[in-house]
Amino acid sequence: MQEALVEFYTAHASSAAVAVARFLSPIPPSQNPGRLYDFLRTTNEVRVKGDVQYALQSQMRRHMSSDEINAWAEIISCYWRAVDRIVKAEQAENQGRSAERHALDTYDAWKDLTSNFIKYISNGALPHWTVFTLYFTANHLRKFALKADEQIAKAKPVAFSAGFQDDIVSATPRNEKLEEAARVFNRIFALCLGDRNPDWMTSRRWGVYCIANLQFKTYFKLKTISLSKNVVKSIAAQSDLPQFHLYPASHRVTYMYYIGVISFLQEDYPKAEASLTEAWNTCYAYSTRNHELIMSYLIPCRLITEHAVPTKKLLDQFPQLRSLFGDLINSIRKGDLSGFDKALAEGEPEFVKRRIFLTLERSRDIALRNLFRKVFLAAGFEDLKEGQTEKDRIRKSRIPLSHFAAALRMSTAGADSGQVIDDEEVECLLANMIYKGHMKGYVSHEHAMVVLNKKGAFPRTGV
Amino acid sequence: MHQTDQNLQTEAASPVKPPKVEWTPEVREYVGRAFEAENAIKGISREDTTKKLKEVIGFFAERKQLASVTWSTYPLPQQILRDERASAAAEATMPSPNAVTNPSYAPTQSKKRKSQDPDETPAENSIPPWRKTNNLEDRITFSGGNEKRHKKNVLSPPSKFDPSDLEKRKQRFNLGKPANNKSTPPWGSARNESDSDMNSAPVVGTNDKLEKSYFRLTAPPKAETVRPQAVLEKTLQLLTRKWREEKNYGYICNQFKSLRQDLTVQHIKNAFTVKVYELHARIALEKGDLGEYNQCQTQLKALYSQKLGGNPAEFTAYRILYFVYTCNKTDMNDLLAELTPADKLHPWIKHALDVRSSLALGNYHKFFKLYLDAQNMGSYLMDMFIERERLHALANISRAYVPCLSSVVNSKG
Repeated sequence: MQEALVEFYTAHASSAAVAVARFLSPIPPSQNPGRLYDFLRTTNEVRVKGDVQYALQSQMRRHMSSDEINAWAEIISCYWRAVDRIVKAEQAENQGRSAERHALDTYDAWKDLTSNFIKYISNGALPHWTVFTLYFTANHLRKFALKADEQIAKAKPVAFSAGFQDDIVSATPRNEKLEEAARVFNRIFALCLGDRNPDWMTSRRWGVYCIANLQFKTYFKLKTISLSKNVVKSIAAQSDLPQFHLYPASHRVTYMYYIGVISFLQEDYPKAEASLTEAWNTCYAYSTRNHELIMSYLIPCRLITEHAVPTKKLLDQFPQLRSLFGDLINSIRKGDLSGFDKALAEGEPEFVKRRIFLTLERSRDIALRNLFRKVFLAAGFEDLKEGQTEKDRIRKSRIPLSHFAAALRMSTAGADSGQVIDDEEVECLLANMIYKGHMKGYVSHEHAMVVLNKKGAFPRTGV
Repeated sequence: MHQTDQNLQTEAASPVKPPKVEWTPEVREYVGRAFEAENAIKGISREDTTKKLKEVIGFFAERKQLASVTWSTYPLPQQILRDERASAAAEATMPSPNAVTNPSYAPTQSKKRKSQDPDETPAENSIPPWRKTNNLEDRITFSGGNEKRHKKNVLSPPSKFDPSDLEKRKQRFNLGKPANNKSTPPWGSARNESDSDMNSAPVVGTNDKLEKSYFRLTAPPKAETVRPQAVLEKTLQLLTRKWREEKNYGYICNQFKSLRQDLTVQHIKNAFTVKVYELHARIALEKGDLGEYNQCQTQLKALYSQKLGGNPAEFTAYRILYFVYTCNKTDMNDLLAELTPADKLHPWIKHALDVRSSLALGNYHKFFKLYLDAQNMGSYLMDMFIERERLHALANISRAYVPCLSSVVNSKG
């Protein structure tokens, strides 16, 4: 046992949360794949508590209070039990036996570990930095919960109600374990946020954002994104948190990213843009994946707020984004409606998965505006009047509806043949453009004309 | 012994009532019996007994009912304690939430009491206080004084309902009870014994009435009140006919709810179930009863996932239209994620999707055209947001057109 705990002793002596977390990891390190088995063999179910307690006591008496020794003894025993379940699950899997019970056992054992961790941190037996170790433990809990839910779902596809409900199918959630885990995370969050320790250096509040991020992740998975708002609210309500910029960049970037995405989903695009931009600027320069994630929301967001399309340079930098948005963006630039519809339909599964489909769809307006703008440009200039030079020639501002109709029909011709655009629809789309402020002017139904402003007919596009 | 008695007298009475309490000989004798060595029960200490005794006597003294209790047959405090503990243990091993609210469910207690007091008088007063406090009404009206007893009584959960609801519920129980008592002997009702099994095991109905009013169940259903599928199928025919003839939604909705309930308690899930839910959903839509419609829709979604037939495409289309109505982007997104390419080509679903996209793009011209050829009950759903969209379109038109707009454009809405 002593031998097995050496890693723990050195990790604890360095007060490094990550090192302790590595000791309490459910995944063996790549250079020592048999670590879990070795650790398991050091003791047995009956003796584990005593063994660990004894080992800790003889080795760490001078470094820890007796409370802390007890706490670690409990935690490490829980960890041993969890390892036991993990190994058993692995063996069962190798033998091809049903995995449901094992997945549940593993999850329960790991939840036990997490709960004990919370207990000893909240009663003050463990030093403050262990909240970060707890973060890693909690993250593993999330993964185990996912696995357990997967197995449950496999075992019984639909839960039929067993009580006295009026309806056949009960409302019991499909992600039972993950929801349970979410409640555990909530407790951890409260543990961090509620720390009244006046000394900032040893406060648990440094864990607030990283636990919040864990909660966001879980809520997104559970499709209960609205619950994230509570987390955001309770953070905003705490006036005495350390200043945001003092937190580790990794916490901040993830937090801002989630805030951005949550605002995005609530259609608060200006706020989403601000948060995502901040995340983008703070993000570690070489973290391509994170940049891509941020951009996958920031691009649709900017399409709505600024009607701005990303530059080619940006897309070239991130091939992933280019394959995602490239066609769509090109179609918008060209005002190619059928190209836009095609790109949108092709990308739909991926867009829907990322929850940006409905927002991207709205950018069809920009494609439409670009198309109409071309019609306007093609109409050319008024004849020169006296005193006018080439420089301040005025574009023709009265354009027959039929021109727009022709443009629309050309642009959508390539799409599926079902699209027939009658004149009323053309008027409707034009009215929309004017209503939404993409064009300045008015429609004259009687004369079948569109009369555009002499100056700035298409705001922010230079004409 | 006498001394204990005296002690008790002052102690028990003092917090509750000012001095003058007449201890009848019966009470004195009862107290005496409580402390006799032959009546002692293993595992229950003298202190506990004394405490319980004070509680029991205090309870009746408070209400001036000391004389009305037949003390000679009243269970001794240690017996009460033993029964309480036994039932607590039983409760712990068999956590059955509904058992609590079911008055016909009287575990070990009642039986035990019978064996001890065979000549128990049926008088109301002979019901011991811990049974009384289990009574729903008492639990609410009694406050203070016997709070401790509440805590001890494991059978009574904290009441979170308001009194009027409880009263109604109680009445319902009383309505259902006599029938049950007649048909099953009080000692051997298998249903009461296996209460926890009842939750999962399906009932097989024996009722053959076609119509039945809906009651929300709070206890396991009785076979006599549940209709088997064969009867239910006839019921459905009857209801369909009645709906066509009378269009009395209140009645139909009630009948459908009890129909659904009967299906549930018998765990019937097949094509017929789907049919019932679909029909109810359509009727609810026609009447704009979104609450019932949504309940049916939720159920249908799960039933369709079981591949039990029915018209999944029709109801998927309704769901899309419903989310258009609620403007719920999150749910809409989730729904879009579920659709398969084949689904999207289905004319009904495609129609709903077109409605969605036409509104998203502000193409009201297309929207109103789609409104005119709405499928199935879709037009009822679209009716719910047609006004809203018409106003949108009007705002749009009035902004974009010169004032002298001919009525032609307008009328197409």
